[in-house]
Amino acid sequence: MIRDFNYHKVQTVEEALNLLDRYKDDYKIICGGQSLLILMRQGLVAPENLIDIKGLEELNYIEFDPKAGLKIGATTTHTAVEKSALVEEHYPILVSMEENLASVQTRNWGTIGGNLCHGDPTGDPGAVFIALNGSVKLATKERDRTLPVEEFFVDFFETELEEGEMLLEIQLPVIPPRTAVTYTKFNIIENDQGLVSVAASLTVDVNGHTCQEARIVIGSAAPVPMRAKEAEKLLIGQNVDDKLLQAVGEKAAEEADPVADIHASEEYRRDLVKTLTRRMVKKAWEQARAQAPKKE
Amino acid sequence: MDKIKLRLTVNKEYLECYITPKKLLVEVLRDELGLTGTKRGCNTGSCHACTVLINGLSVKSCSVLAMQADGCEVTTVEGLADAAALSPLQKSFLDHGAYQCGFCTSGMLMAATSFLAENPRPNEQEIREGLHGNICRCTGYNSIIRAVKAVAEGKYKEAADE
Amino acid sequence: MSKKFHVINTPVHNVDGIAKVTGRAEYTFDLVLPHMLYGKILRSPYPHAKILNIDTSRAENLPGVRGVVTGKDTLGVKQGIWRRYKELCDEEILAREKVRYIGEPVAAVAAVDEDTAEEALDLIEVEYEPLPGVFVPLDAIKEGAPLLHENAERNINVTRHIEWGDVDEGFKQADLVREDWFRCSSQAHVCMETHCAVASYTPDGKLTVYTSTQSHYYIKVLLADVLGLRENDIRVISRYTGGGFGSKFELDSAQFCSSILSMKLCQPVKIVLTREEEFMATKRRTPMFYYLRTGVQKDGQFLAKEARVFTEGGAYTAMGATALYLTGFFQAFPYDWPNYRYDGYRVYTNTPPTSAMRGFGAPQATFCAETQIDLIAEELGIDRIDIRRKNAMYAGYEVPGQAWIQSCGLSECLDKVDEWIKTKGDLPANSGIGIAAYGFMSGGIFNWFDTPYAFSSAVIQVNVDGKVDLFVGSQDMGQGSNTTMAMICAEELGVNVGDIRLHMGDTDKCPVDLGAWGSRETLMQGNAVKMAAAEAKKQILEFAAAKMTPNIVYDLDIKDGWIHLIARPERGLAFNEVVKEVIRGRDGQPIVARGHYTPHRKGMISPAYSFGVQAIEVKVDPETGKITLKDCVTAHDCGQVINPLGVQGQLEGAIAMAAGYGFTEDLPMDEGKILNPNLVDYKLLRTTEMPETTVVEVETYEPEGPFGAKEAGEGLTNPTAGALGNAVHDAVGVSINELPITSEKVLEAIRDKDKPKTDEED
Repeated sequence: MIRDFNYHKVQTVEEALNLLDRYKDDYKIICGGQSLLILMRQGLVAPENLIDIKGLEELNYIEFDPKAGLKIGATTTHTAVEKSALVEEHYPILVSMEENLASVQTRNWGTIGGNLCHGDPTGDPGAVFIALNGSVKLATKERDRTLPVEEFFVDFFETELEEGEMLLEIQLPVIPPRTAVTYTKFNIIENDQGLVSVAASLTVDVNGHTCQEARIVIGSAAPVPMRAKEAEKLLIGQNVDDKLLQAVGEKAAEEADPVADIHASEEYRRDLVKTLTRRMVKKAWEQARAQAPKKE
Repeated sequence: MDKIKLRLTVNKEYLECYITPKKLLVEVLRDELGLTGTKRGCNTGSCHACTVLINGLSVKSCSVLAMQADGCEVTTVEGLADAAALSPLQKSFLDHGAYQCGFCTSGMLMAATSFLAENPRPNEQEIREGLHGNICRCTGYNSIIRAVKAVAEGKYKEAADE
Repeated sequence: MSKKFHVINTPVHNVDGIAKVTGRAEYTFDLVLPHMLYGKILRSPYPHAKILNIDTSRAENLPGVRGVVTGKDTLGVKQGIWRRYKELCDEEILAREKVRYIGEPVAAVAAVDEDTAEEALDLIEVEYEPLPGVFVPLDAIKEGAPLLHENAERNINVTRHIEWGDVDEGFKQADLVREDWFRCSSQAHVCMETHCAVASYTPDGKLTVYTSTQSHYYIKVLLADVLGLRENDIRVISRYTGGGFGSKFELDSAQFCSSILSMKLCQPVKIVLTREEEFMATKRRTPMFYYLRTGVQKDGQFLAKEARVFTEGGAYTAMGATALYLTGFFQAFPYDWPNYRYDGYRVYTNTPPTSAMRGFGAPQATFCAETQIDLIAEELGIDRIDIRRKNAMYAGYEVPGQAWIQSCGLSECLDKVDEWIKTKGDLPANSGIGIAAYGFMSGGIFNWFDTPYAFSSAVIQVNVDGKVDLFVGSQDMGQGSNTTMAMICAEELGVNVGDIRLHMGDTDKCPVDLGAWGSRETLMQGNAVKMAAAEAKKQILEFAAAKMTPNIVYDLDIKDGWIHLIARPERGLAFNEVVKEVIRGRDGQPIVARGHYTPHRKGMISPAYSFGVQAIEVKVDPETGKITLKDCVTAHDCGQVINPLGVQGQLEGAIAMAAGYGFTEDLPMDEGKILNPNLVDYKLLRTTEMPETTVVEVETYEPEGPFGAKEAGEGLTNPTAGALGNAVHDAVGVSINELPITSEKVLEAIRDKDKPKTDEED
């Protein structure tokens, strides 16, 4: 059951940060609450003060700049991201990610910021934002700072957020030319959290012959969404053929650190990492190459 | 714990009540307002039986603090039609036998109502994806899909729409 | 589809439809009574332990708590649904000396609100002495294993033996003998409405219990047994039940704890189980360890089958004894096995009791049987439809010493499915179609409950305006029996469904019916209703004949509220008008009629059997093992379809539930603790996993059933797991013998199959 708490509904970011500063030892921020309320109902989380930022319109925005990229305010709902014309045009991978995330009802009320702050390594946005080389802007009453999303996740359900600090915004750089980003997760029931998930971003050279940059992110196979950096290295400067894909998949599986649970054994998870990595890298390779101008 | 004021418009009726802030929207609807059409089936936000509309958007009322809906318009199954009338979806559910024990039906109708308002011409796959959150243990879903499809295909157009 | 009926087999609206689609249906879950308290149950955290002491004082002193009960507040009666056999009544309602599974009720609290009751649970101090536990049947029967019940040697709860012919001789004559082992998993019912009850005891010594149940009659009698009350000083009310599937016809903890608390406090007490309690501490499908040895001739003729089964009983008997019997019986279905032998052992384990779930042991049996038949067909090089057709049961067949099959459309079902498969043509790579055949009971003939009443009764009263009161004991838990009974009554009496006012779900007002389980309502309650309607009709027609004075050779009938000469239907009178005069003519007495049904001399299991064949098309991803359901056809014989919308709904619901049993649902345990007691980790099919389904009705006429009808809701859960497994086999060449058929198991099997054989293996 939920324990009683002091309820604070804030109208501005400044108000929120002041409260965070005041209650720094005992508060929880609620926004969409799609994850938090479940924990509170089970008695796993019982803050003295609950700071409700759901109504913070100040943080409800999606903006795009051709140089700076995409900025999503923390209280933006999943549905807003899913339906945004800007996102559809410039970051379509986010649209398909949202379409496969939980349910319509969860997306209508739950927020992209709340999802990241929950720190769940099985979360889709974490992996995809890392593949997109995204950053998060955090702020306390005193100052703000920006970190790569990759550094934001610290451990299972633990983020970099300090006492008195909240997430303001997610920043995604412009996707470089000749780059494709892919994402998939393995589940038996659609839209379920993945047993394993893989996001891949590949950039190819001007002629589309070799891979110039690669980011491979594995979700659900470690305490945080993790980059498979050794696997990425195998791709740089290479023409990506089936043999290389096989090697990349195997390397990613080696780097992953999955646990066994009632849903899958460690070996099976590693196997899925191998297969999904191969598939996502291949898809990204093909999509990126399609963007390279064809030589006569 | 002191109670605080909650203002809601529920099924087009404005009302105020005093609640402790930990009350969930579903608890206010069912326990304070006696609108027991909305059900609860789990504690993990999984079953979606508690689906209602907030400002037209379908949400799980078990996963919304009542205070977060302060000042909003909430629609429950009781508000789908006035008096003895039935909404097109309700009629279609009757015709297609799209319910059995009926416990998930309110949530299903609310999810479908919101879905069709956003997607008036969906194909079958889109309907399945749109209702994906709502669990039904009795029907195997297909009768529900048929019922929603029939409304989408215009088979229940109200006389007033013509 | 035959058109010989006015009401039957027409698409009528469910009689509860308006209530359900407008949110007006009030379930026990919704009920609030004046002065009501809220209860919560304290449950054992140990799988096996002695209770040394329970101190409830701190809980009792918590402000807002009105009362706490433990086993000491009960009569210490051990109850069970197999009432006829006292040794199988082994379950106390609140444990007194020992707990035998994690989740067993130990105490209960009533308070002014749920939160206070929950807080109070933490204040009850129970001193346990943990005992070693056993969790798997084959461990539990070992010499020296810890014993759950003193009277059950080696933890063997029940055994069952079924035999006919000479199995050993049959094996000698067989060209092919196969042995296979299977493991069938457990499954949770996951009714959308969890178990709940509101009990209200009043100082006049009467107890009213509103509850979500499949049998208000059973609950009434079982409560009387444990509370020491007179049966009919208890009233059980269940107007709407949010799902049952076999989980709600035994006495459950919400019912007995709320009753004891209410008796102590003389206030209504409401207990609603949480979804977690529902998973952890309510009864579930019986897991089974199956051995099948089968002998056939090379032309595919079935000769002999030997089955040996150990079932994981859990801590108490519950309905597990029935599942043990039925799995052995349906293991021989739906084929002619000249020689058969079954030995089943139900073994106590320190896990939550296993009991009845839709299919009742038959889905497990069918999964094993149908998987093996495909393997046999493959070995012999015989088409899988042909081998089944060759051995199929038929109308007039006698299951030796067990049952008579009076109606059977199995062969036609096989033909229809064969046709459907042929239309599919060549399938893409890694796709496959699997089939499975089944037969199932339409209600049981056994009276292990030890009732002196007819198995089903009905009362009809015809009123002056032609409105017909129909009183039934059947329970609608979503399967649609309310509508079915109204339709049967309307058809027989010659009126319309809108003329029927149905009364059900109240033991004070309704005649006895044993409840909605074993797929008995359509046949048994339906027969009782038909008999009552026929009697009422007779009373009306006698009067009509006197009034119309037709030639003695002409018969009268009633259709659509019109009493008429069958030969000259235009000559007749309105039903309402005649009824009015009948009543006037008998000193104002309304027309009342009764009906009842109890199967007599109908064999050992059931008065009638449904049959069917299901085919499922799947696609398998050979690199991940993931199974996707693509398409499904079911040809089934339920005799005469009464409610076509209802039957289709039951079929589709059965597929979703049984497919879940086949590949997504499971209750993994660690030392008696269920590891996935929530809907995140327990995987149910959703809209997106459910394939298109085609239903083919194969109509037969069952003489034992009302208008020729048989069951339709439960048999349909039998074939799906087997068909799914066979489809995977067809798609990627692997046969999985262990449920659920997870993607991990499929991938492992594919890898094993594709592994190059080493020299040693050659």
